[in-house]
Amino acid sequence: MVDLVTVEVIKGALIYAAEEMGIALRNSAYSPNIKERMDFSCTLFDHQKRLEAQAEHIPVHLGSMGWAVREGLDHFEGLLEKGDMLLFNDPYISGTHLPDITLIAPIFSEEEVIGYAANKAHHSDVGGKAPGSMAGDATELYQEGIIIPPVRFVKCGEVDRELSALIMSNIRTPEVRLGDIRAQVAANLLGERRMKGLAEKYGIEVLRETMTQVMDYSERMMRKEIEKMPEGRYEAEDYLESTGVTDELVKIKVAVTVRKDGLKIDYTGTSGQAEGPVNAVFGVTLSGVYYVLRCLTDPSIPMNDGGYRPVEVYAPKGTVVNPIHPAPVAGGNVETSQRNVDALLKAFAQIVPEKVCAACQGTMNNVAAGGTDAETGGPWTFYETIAGGFGGRKGLDGVDGVHTHMTNTMNTPIEAIEGVYPMRFLRYELRIDSGGAGKWRGGVGVERSWKLLSPSATLSILAERTRLAPWGLYGGKSGMKGEFLILKPDGTEIRLKPKCTVKMKKGDVFVARTPGGGGYGNPLERSPEEVSRDVVNGLVSRGSARKDYGVVMNPETKQIDWEATRRLREDSA
Amino acid sequence: MAVYRVSIDVGGTFTDLIGLDEENEELINIKVPSTPKKPADGAIKAFQLFLESVKPEKVSVVTHATTIAVNALLGQLGLEIPRVASVSTKGFRDILEIGRQRRHELYNLSIQKPRTLIPRQLRYEVNERLSARGEVLESLNKKDVHALAEELKQRAVKAVAVALLFSYMNPKHEREVEKTLNEAFPEISVSSSSNVAPEHREYERTSTTVVNACLIPIVSVYLNNLASKVRKIGVNAPLCVMRSDAGLATREAVVEKPVSIVESGPAAGVLASSFYGERLGIKNVLSFDMGGTTAKAGTVQGGKPELAMEYEVAGKIHSGRIIKGSGYPVRFPSIDLAECSAGGGTIAWSDTGGVLRVGPISAGADPGPACYAKGGEEPTVTDANLLLGRLNPNHMLGGRMRLFGDLARKAIEKEICEKIGLELVEAAAGIIKIVNSQMAKILRIVSVERGYDPRRFTLTSFGGAGPMHTCALAEELHISKIVVPPSPGLFSAYGLLTANFTCNFVQAIMATTEKIECHDLEETFGMLQRRGEETLAAQGVKPENMQFLRQLDMRYFGQGYELTIPASVPLTDRSLQQALKGYHRKHEAIHGYAREEAPVEIVNARLTAVGLVKKPKMKEQRSCGKKPPKEALLTKRSVFFERPGGFEETPVYLRERLKCGNFLSGPMVVEQYDATTVIYPGWEAEVDRFGNIILRATEGG
Repeated sequence: MVDLVTVEVIKGALIYAAEEMGIALRNSAYSPNIKERMDFSCTLFDHQKRLEAQAEHIPVHLGSMGWAVREGLDHFEGLLEKGDMLLFNDPYISGTHLPDITLIAPIFSEEEVIGYAANKAHHSDVGGKAPGSMAGDATELYQEGIIIPPVRFVKCGEVDRELSALIMSNIRTPEVRLGDIRAQVAANLLGERRMKGLAEKYGIEVLRETMTQVMDYSERMMRKEIEKMPEGRYEAEDYLESTGVTDELVKIKVAVTVRKDGLKIDYTGTSGQAEGPVNAVFGVTLSGVYYVLRCLTDPSIPMNDGGYRPVEVYAPKGTVVNPIHPAPVAGGNVETSQRNVDALLKAFAQIVPEKVCAACQGTMNNVAAGGTDAETGGPWTFYETIAGGFGGRKGLDGVDGVHTHMTNTMNTPIEAIEGVYPMRFLRYELRIDSGGAGKWRGGVGVERSWKLLSPSATLSILAERTRLAPWGLYGGKSGMKGEFLILKPDGTEIRLKPKCTVKMKKGDVFVARTPGGGGYGNPLERSPEEVSRDVVNGLVSRGSARKDYGVVMNPETKQIDWEATRRLREDSA
Repeated sequence: MAVYRVSIDVGGTFTDLIGLDEENEELINIKVPSTPKKPADGAIKAFQLFLESVKPEKVSVVTHATTIAVNALLGQLGLEIPRVASVSTKGFRDILEIGRQRRHELYNLSIQKPRTLIPRQLRYEVNERLSARGEVLESLNKKDVHALAEELKQRAVKAVAVALLFSYMNPKHEREVEKTLNEAFPEISVSSSSNVAPEHREYERTSTTVVNACLIPIVSVYLNNLASKVRKIGVNAPLCVMRSDAGLATREAVVEKPVSIVESGPAAGVLASSFYGERLGIKNVLSFDMGGTTAKAGTVQGGKPELAMEYEVAGKIHSGRIIKGSGYPVRFPSIDLAECSAGGGTIAWSDTGGVLRVGPISAGADPGPACYAKGGEEPTVTDANLLLGRLNPNHMLGGRMRLFGDLARKAIEKEICEKIGLELVEAAAGIIKIVNSQMAKILRIVSVERGYDPRRFTLTSFGGAGPMHTCALAEELHISKIVVPPSPGLFSAYGLLTANFTCNFVQAIMATTEKIECHDLEETFGMLQRRGEETLAAQGVKPENMQFLRQLDMRYFGQGYELTIPASVPLTDRSLQQALKGYHRKHEAIHGYAREEAPVEIVNARLTAVGLVKKPKMKEQRSCGKKPPKEALLTKRSVFFERPGGFEETPVYLRERLKCGNFLSGPMVVEQYDATTVIYPGWEAEVDRFGNIILRATEGG
C-alpha cells in the first residue's frame, strides 16, 4: 500500500497532467474546432491499459477513450517502441466516429511500459462524400471519410511521411489537419514527460500501485453512491425521428437494474441498426451511461476505470446502439448519444426524481458547409454546432442558449468567421416561447442565421428534435421543436429535413432555430412574477403566458393582472 | 522637509499602509483590520494612524490597490450591479447572454450561467452593419438612435454599453451612437467597445464593455468618496490606483475605465517581486503570495511581470485556473496569475472514500483556524503548521494573538485521525503535503506551462503564510534560490510604491505580414503613441518621463490564438522580420513547434505608454558579519520536516534582531511580527544588505 497522502498527491499530479495535455493541444492546434471549441479529450492510462486520468472536455469521449485505447492497442499487430505513436479513427475500434482521430503514445521508463498518453480530437474534415464528413444521408461507413486502422503514424519520434501523405490525400484541408495532428502529438509528448517524471520521482512500483489504488478508490465511492439508490428495474424509451435515409422512428429502449452490488444497463428492445448514419458505436453508448452516472453521483469521484467497474452495460449486437461494420455512424456521436441520455434520464427519473432534469434540446444541430472559394479557388469547409435549451430542474429553470449533455463545444465568433468564410450572419438570438412551460421553465433555444456570399455551397445538416419535441417532466410541457430553413432571395422558404445535404446559391439565407428544453413541474404553479419577468424579457409571449401559465398580463402597463390571473388559474386547474 | 509617498493596499483581512520618506528612504508601516462593508473606512483609519506621526501636507501622492471592482461583480458587500443598458447590431443583442454557448461544468445538471449583467429587456438594437473589413454595409439608422435615447431616459439607466459588430475595424457607428446618447443624456456614462476593447471576438469585446459600464457607477462613487475623505483629513495629494496590468492611473482616468482595475489587488504583489528582482539583479522571478484564504503565483520574466490579455472576472477556479465560462471575460492586460484555495485558513477534511482532502473551503478570519479559539472546530493548514512546531503559539502578530495547540490537535484528531485512521503527526504532515502539492501546481502553471524552466527562476515568498511553505515548494520545483522580503505581510503595499503610470492602446490590424506595408503600421503606432502622450500628460507625467512599448499580436493565419511579440521603434521591414522571428521562437517555446514557411497574421498593434515614477532606493545596511547576534536566537523547539526522522530540534530566531550579512544553516525558524519563515535542512540563509533573507539550496534539491 502506498500511503494515502502520496496517493492524493500523485492522483492530483496525473489529473493535472491530463489537463495540461489539453492546454498544449488547444494552444498549438490550427482549426477553430479544436482551438476555439475545444472538441477533444486528453487522458493517461496505466500499463494495463486502464484509464487513470481524464481531463474534462467532451462527455461523448468519456466512455470511448477507455474503449479506444484498449481496442486500438489490441488491434495493432506490430510492436510499439519508444517514440512511436498509434493513430486511428476506425469507429469500430476507436469507439466514436471517423472525424475523431485518436493518438496513443506508450510511455516508457527504463525500457518498461509504465502507461499510455492518449488523446482524441474532432477534425473538421476527414474526407468522404460531404465537406465536414458529417453527411446526414450516408448509408455505409465508406462514404463518411477515410478509415484509418491503428497505424504507427509516429515512428521513433518522426511522423511517417508516406502514411501522412496517404491520409492527407483523402482529406479536404490537409494543411490544417496536419497542424492539428501535430498538436495532438505535442499533447501526448507532454503527457509522456509528466508520467515519466512521476515514475522517476516516486519509482515505477509506487506509481503503479498508486494508480491501482486511485481506481479502487473510485470504485468504492461509486458503489457507495449506487447503494443509496432504491433497488429495482426501471425501464424507459425514447426515439430518434429519422435515420437520415428514411423517416422511420428509431427506438432506444433501456432497462436500468439497481442492485446493492451494482447497476446493469440493458438495451434489449432497441431498434436494429439503421440504414442512415444514426448508429452509435458501443463506445458512444458507454459514454452516455457514464455521463448520466457522473451527473447523478458525487462529482468529486475521479474519472477512471475503477468508477465504472460496478456498472455493466449490455447492448445487443446489430442494434442502433451497437452496430456492426460497415454501418454508417457519423451521427451516432452527435445525435444518438443525446437520445441515449434522454432515455437513460427518463429511467433514472424513477430512481432519483429530484436529481434529473427534463429533456434538454437533445441534439447538437450540426451544420457543415463548404465549397470553393471565389477568390483563391481553394476549398473551404465550415462546421459548427448550435446551442439550445437545457431542461427545467427542480428549483431551477433550464439554462437558455447553451450546449447540453454530450457536447460542450464553443461557438465560433462571428467576427472570426466572416473574415475567413463567405458567410454573413444576420441573427444570433434567443428564441421566444421555445422553452417548455413548467413550474421551472425549460431553457430557450436560439436562432442563428447567415447569408451565403459565394456562388454556391454544399450544406449538410445533422440534427434531431424537429418532429418529436424535448419532453417535460412532472407536468412540465415539451420544449419547442427545432427547424431549419433556406430563404431564397425571391422570398420562397424551403424547409429542410433535419438530416440532409443540399446545395445553396449566393444570396440564400440559412436559418437554424434550435429546440428549447422541456419544463419541470406544473406551469400553473409557476410564480406569476417569474412569468411576467420572462414576458418583459421577451422569452415568453403574452399569449403563452396566458395559455400555458394562466398568467394574464396587462398589455398597457406590462404588469400582471392579478385578478384575471387568479380566475384563469382556478378555471384551468 | 520630508515628503512621503503613501500606499494603501486594502485586502480581505488586513488593510496595509506604507509611508515612504523620499528623503531618507525610511518606511512607516501600518496594518489595521479591513472593513469589508465600507473599505474606505479601514483605509482612512490606517491613514489617521499614519498622520499621528506625519503632517498631512507632507504627503505627496497616495497610491491605492482595491478589490472593489471584483467584489462588486462577485455580488459581495451588498454592492448592487447598477441598471445598465446595452446597444447591439440588429439581431445580436443576445451575444452577451449566449456567450460561448458552453457550460462551465460538464457533469452538473444544476448548472447555471453566471448572471447576465444586463437583463434582456435593457439590451437594445440598432439597424446598422459593417463588413469584416470595416466597410459600411448598412448605415446607422439615426432615427433608431434618437428613439433609443428617449427610451433610455425613461428607463432610468445609470450607464450604457455600446458594442456593434466589427466596430474594432471601424468605430464610426459606435461613435455616432455614443455622441447622440451623450448629447441627449449627458448625465449617464456611455462605454463604447471600440474605445474599451477594440479587438475581434464579439462576445469578449461586448462583455468587456458591459463590465466597464457596470463598474463606472460603483467605482466612481467609491473612489470619489475615498478621495473626499482623504481630503477631509487634510491630505491634498493626488489619488492614484493600481490597475490590473500593475501600472498606475489617476483616479480620474480609472473612473473612465474601471475595467482596468479588476485585478488591482493581486497585481501589486507581483510588481513588488519584479522590483526586488531588479534591485537584486535577478531577471526571472516566480512570485508566490500565500495569505489566509488563497495562494497566488505570478511570473516575472526578463524583469517584467507577465501579463495575460484576457481575464475572466468573478470566475470559478479549478486546479489553479479560471474555468472558462464561469465569469465575465474582460480583454485588458492583467497580471497573469494562477491561484488556488490554499491559505492558512483552508480546511482539511476526510471524504466518504477515506481520503484526506484539503480545501477549497476556508475558515477565513472568522471563526478562523481551530487554534484561534474563536469557535472554529475544523482543522486548517494553520492548525497543522502549529502541531508540527512551525508556528509559535505565543508569537502571532508579535505576541498579540495566542494560538491553542490543544484545540488544533482536537480538531485534527476528530475530523481526520478518527475518520481515516491516521496518526496525529501523519495527518498534520499530510495536510501540509497536500496543500503544498496544490500550491506547487499553481507555480507550475506560471512557469512550466508557459515554457519556462523553474530551475532558472528565483522564488519570492510573501504574504503571512508564504515563507512557511516556501522551502517545500522550491524543492518540488527544483528551485534553488528564494527571497523572503523584510516585511512579507506588507509586500504588496510596498509594490504600490514601485509602480509607474501606464495606459494601453490597441488597434486591430487583421492582415498577414505579406500584405502589410511597414509605413502603414508605423503610422498606426504613431497614432497610438500620440494618444498615449496625451493620456499621460493629462495625468501630470512630464515628456522626459514617458516611454512607449510597442507590441504585435501575431498568429499563424487560420489559428485562433495570438502571441504578443515586441516591436521596435521605428518599425522597418527589417525589424518586422525580427518580430516575425521572435514570433516563431516564442511559438516553438510554448507550443513545441514553429512553421517558418506559413503566413503570419498580425491581429492587433498594441502600445503601452509608461510614465516613469521615481522608485524607492531601498535602504542599504552594512554587513555585520556572518555570525548573528546572540540575542537573535530566541529558543529551540521541535519542528517537523518532511525528512527521515521527522521532528528535529530547531533553533528559532527573531527576524528583527538578525543583521545584514548574518549567515545560518537550516533547519531553523525565523519569526517576525507578521510572518514565520521555516528553513528546511539542506538550505542556507543569509541576510542581504536590504534586509531580505536569501535562501539557497545546498543539496541537489
